[in-house]
Amino acid sequence: MTAVPEAVARPGVPARDAASGLPPYTARLLRWSFAIGVLPPLALIAALAVKSLYLLTFVHVICGGTWTGFDLFMGLVMTRVMTLLDVPTRVEVAKRLTPTTFFILPSLAAVAVTSGIYLSQAEGKFDLGSPWILAAGVVVLILTVQGFGIFMPNGLRIFIELAKRQPDTTKIARLNMRNIRLAGVQAALQVAIIVIMAHLAVY
Amino acid sequence: MNVTALLAVAAFALALLAIFGTLYVGAVRSHRRGDLGIEGIRILRWAIAGQLVIYALLAVTAFLG
Repeated sequence: MTAVPEAVARPGVPARDAASGLPPYTARLLRWSFAIGVLPPLALIAALAVKSLYLLTFVHVICGGTWTGFDLFMGLVMTRVMTLLDVPTRVEVAKRLTPTTFFILPSLAAVAVTSGIYLSQAEGKFDLGSPWILAAGVVVLILTVQGFGIFMPNGLRIFIELAKRQPDTTKIARLNMRNIRLAGVQAALQVAIIVIMAHLAVY
Repeated sequence: MNVTALLAVAAFALALLAIFGTLYVGAVRSHRRGDLGIEGIRILRWAIAGQLVIYALLAVTAFLG
């Protein structure tokens, strides 16, 4: 069988699977993302199993803080860096960034929200008549719709495109940039939710 | 058992399956046309299964909360 040019490894450039456009490190990065991604729900299970308010608070704060920090970094730093790169380089970044964040970010978001609900219930603050709780709910709803409707489908579309024998690099770069810009919007909403959380924690 | 939490996780998992399922069907069509390698389909299956594992773990919390 004749090797396709993409399948030939060049120095510093990983070989690609001859049957698809996916580089061999994609599965490795996905496994890594999954290994990290299962930690937040496992920590939440542990906090609830031992009925530790301290651990539950820790899980909520670390997941929410990491999620917010990541989105701030993506929105404020990565957008600037990515816009200065040419399309092939953006695609190279997307090839590595998408599988690495694929499980970690949705897991952090889901656990931050879930642990927040358990925490507010444990502290007797889960009052749907409270404007602060309602405001938090509205922001979470917007974040969730964006996550399910845009972030994750875009991630999957990037995988599908990368796996094609003739990947549309412009499409990959466009989808990746859309996700990075959206992370900035998510960061702004998360800062808003932190304002709400600070109010709920103090009053 | 926290029924509300369990229903919320189930709703999220179903939404995820609906969105990812649609994309998966499109990917399988691309594979049949010869545009997409089988490795791509395997990775997609892996990605969907991994997300479902995370939601299954979250569902466990409904029995503890």
